[in-house]
Amino acid sequence: MPLLSVRNLQTRFATDRGIVRAVNGVSFDLEEGEVLGLVGESGSGKSVTALSIMRLVPEPPGKVTADSLTLEGTDLLRLSEADAREIRGSRMAMIFQDPMRSLNPVLTIGRQLTEVLRRHQKLSGTAARRRAIELLETVGIPMAEKRLAAYPHQFSGGMRQRVMIAIALSCNPRLLIADEATTALDVTIQAQIIDLVKRLQRERGTSVIWISHDLGVVAGLCDRVNVMYAGNVVETAPIRELFHRPSHGYTLGLMGSTPRVDGSGTARLTPIEGMPPNLIDPIPLCPFLPRCRVSVPACQARPPERREFGVGHWASCLADLAK
Amino acid sequence: MAVVQPSSPATPYRITGSFVLAARQFPRHRAAMVGLVLLVLICLAAALAPWIAPYDPVQIKLSAKLKPPSFEHLLGTDHFGRDVFSRLIYGGRTSLSVGVLVVVFAFVLGVPLGLASGYFGGRIDNLLMRLVDAFLTFPPLLLAVALVGLLGPDIQNVMLALGLVQAPVLARIVRGSTLAVREDVYVTAARALGAGPARIVLSHILRNVMSPIVVQLTIVFSAAVVAEASLSFLGFGTQPPQPSWGRDMSEARRFLGDAPWMFMAPTGIIMLCVLSINFLGDGLRDALDPRAWRTRRQLSKGEG
Amino acid sequence: MWRYLGRRLIQVPLVLVVVSLMTFLITRATPGDPVQIMLGMQTSKEAAEAMRKEFNLDRSLPEQYALWIGKVVQGDLGRSIRLNDPVTSLLAERLPVSLQLAASAMAFALLVSIPLGVIAALRRNSWIDYLCTGYTVAGFAIPNFGLALILIYVFSIQLDWLPITGIGTAEQVSGGLWTYIKPFIIPAIALGTLQTAILTRLLRSSMIDVLSQDYMRTARAKGLLPATIIVVHALKNAMIPFVTMAAIQFGYMIGIQVTIEYIFAVPGMGSAVLNAVVNRDFPVIQGFTLVISAFFLFANIMADLFYALLDPRIRY
Repeated sequence: MPLLSVRNLQTRFATDRGIVRAVNGVSFDLEEGEVLGLVGESGSGKSVTALSIMRLVPEPPGKVTADSLTLEGTDLLRLSEADAREIRGSRMAMIFQDPMRSLNPVLTIGRQLTEVLRRHQKLSGTAARRRAIELLETVGIPMAEKRLAAYPHQFSGGMRQRVMIAIALSCNPRLLIADEATTALDVTIQAQIIDLVKRLQRERGTSVIWISHDLGVVAGLCDRVNVMYAGNVVETAPIRELFHRPSHGYTLGLMGSTPRVDGSGTARLTPIEGMPPNLIDPIPLCPFLPRCRVSVPACQARPPERREFGVGHWASCLADLAK
Repeated sequence: MAVVQPSSPATPYRITGSFVLAARQFPRHRAAMVGLVLLVLICLAAALAPWIAPYDPVQIKLSAKLKPPSFEHLLGTDHFGRDVFSRLIYGGRTSLSVGVLVVVFAFVLGVPLGLASGYFGGRIDNLLMRLVDAFLTFPPLLLAVALVGLLGPDIQNVMLALGLVQAPVLARIVRGSTLAVREDVYVTAARALGAGPARIVLSHILRNVMSPIVVQLTIVFSAAVVAEASLSFLGFGTQPPQPSWGRDMSEARRFLGDAPWMFMAPTGIIMLCVLSINFLGDGLRDALDPRAWRTRRQLSKGEG
Repeated sequence: MWRYLGRRLIQVPLVLVVVSLMTFLITRATPGDPVQIMLGMQTSKEAAEAMRKEFNLDRSLPEQYALWIGKVVQGDLGRSIRLNDPVTSLLAERLPVSLQLAASAMAFALLVSIPLGVIAALRRNSWIDYLCTGYTVAGFAIPNFGLALILIYVFSIQLDWLPITGIGTAEQVSGGLWTYIKPFIIPAIALGTLQTAILTRLLRSSMIDVLSQDYMRTARAKGLLPATIIVVHALKNAMIPFVTMAAIQFGYMIGIQVTIEYIFAVPGMGSAVLNAVVNRDFPVIQGFTLVISAFFLFANIMADLFYALLDPRIRY
């Protein structure tokens, strides 16, 4: 049984202009200990997918539905809000893009770290403190004991992200979601954080969903990649396979706009020409069609179906790019 | 190299542009429009008092004293049998003219001080701002009471005192805005072209600090209306038998149980007046602040 | 931090000197002779001269000011011309009463604005949010003496629940807690409603701002209980501007009490200044305004201090 199973996840937001389909039928499995990349442009539904899994989408205006959404067999969408709170921060945890703004500025690092431990593991004050020091040392913060009394503004961006990771991993979650966790950081710091996540993931066997628009980062970290466009997974493949044989026009576009990927972690996507898709009234065809440079006549006639291109390699594209 | 002619300053487009835009923006603010209409109605009623008021506001008629509201006396009568509604309308003349004159006084005194302080900086700024600081440590109402009490309770002194109280606040705001635009490119350009300080301040800076001044003046106006009522209430403003909202409320204290309309009517009209000025001020602030437009434009787009 | 505080404290006497000079000049430049008011028109020239001499009013203005400020530095605010008592003992009678009234008004403001502001922010566009908006709009518009009359009419005259007078009387202090609190209720509400409106509006908007911050999402992602999220994570941030504003508003309280003191016959600072102004009792005017200004400055420094204490990012 996969750790996380997502089937036909749909997240919609009611706005003044109509219903925005931010996530429109996403399905995938995440195995124990697997690191899955979620790539795509901003607005492709990566973050909303993550927030939907975490049950952090505000309802209303949002509405999350799925044929199934299970974590270790627990149906996440059936959970009451109170039960969802028990799971958040303990069995699944999340780190966010901007470590500058993700930590509460008026609470000490110690408080923000121990409150999770006390909440979920019911640790006493001293036990939580001891554990917090261990955690800070684990994520590579020197003089951890002294740092507990410090406030976030006294830390650098990289240090803050380390603290966020410590908080996220404090209760040994089975699932860790990192949403653009290194985007706001300097390149060298980025590499350090990625190494840290890699190390901790291996040590603990945590499953990770790594959201990024940076293919280089994904290449260096992930086992498998979901490419998202217009709220859909348009291609999924093991990492080598994807770079070796991209099979969706959009993936190809992403790579075409990326300098050579050699795992150095510096490659960035530049936007593909054309407008991002309309999420309110989606066209009944391939959503990437208006921007696609490799479309075939069939693309104008029918929506693409999901096709297998190799072992664990699926794409929703009518053009046979491999040939 | 393009040369900006000093005779045709580079700034006006900025300010006329923004005021025209603001004028277009303003009517969309519903509360502000309600405020404007109410205020115009109150002002008209006060201006046309002799034609509108059903009775002479100072005419004593003891046979009709303390009568509750009726068709004959819309808001009842007071302890001298005077018509409360008529007194309200005539009282508005005092309150509103005090409001207007205090605004003028605060403008004439506060704006030049603020401009000078902000533009010249240095020792002048220091001296003026310390004076402003000292003024602002006085509670405004108490300062006004002290000034009027010492000068003698008289409506001119009330205006003078309230103007003196409000001017420092305005001066500080003008100074802040002046500091912000003083280093703007066009001011530097004008200076480089040899425009004198008077010309720069009047034709360049003043136009660009008008928005915060206009908004603050609405606050000054409503503060002045309330302060005049407070002073009259304490016996330091309008003297009997002249009708005055604050004074009439003071008289009404002795008849709270017997004739509640006597205090409710002036309280209501003061509230209405302040409310409409505040709405107007909010609308002006939003209309003059381009940042506020964008959000509203987005919203209205969303609605449509 | 402490250096900053020190610098602020050093400025206080400077501002107070300017304030005292201003009051001195205003009292002397305006018409009205305290001695004449005190003794009446028919007194002999000699008696008037003797009194002028007694209060140094026969000396030149710079001398008068120098003599006065010299005593002030030693803690002597002079003697009241009218009552012939030391200004300090008059102050000792009046200041506590004013402070109690200010504190009760502030207590009311805090009691209403904190829950109202927080709930309005959490339940935007609900009936309680509209209630909050209506209350603040009305609170900004109604003059405190008008509100006082309405409250008296309803709660004292119609319902007969609460007394109109009684603050600062012997019976009030000697009775039980309820006897003590009762006369404060209407004046506190009338005096504190404007502050309540200011503080509610501020708390609502800063709370809305805080709720949209990224760290609130982090707090939810940690699975914390809603009470913890609101009280510890949101309120602790939203309270920073609120507490600062509350301190500043408290500084204003003594000065805006005049009308309330007048209505409820409160023997406070405002009515003392009022009487002193009418009688041209120069030492009382000068002494009391000095204390009121000092109180205001003190409240402002407290506001800065609170700000620094609550927000760890602030280091002066």
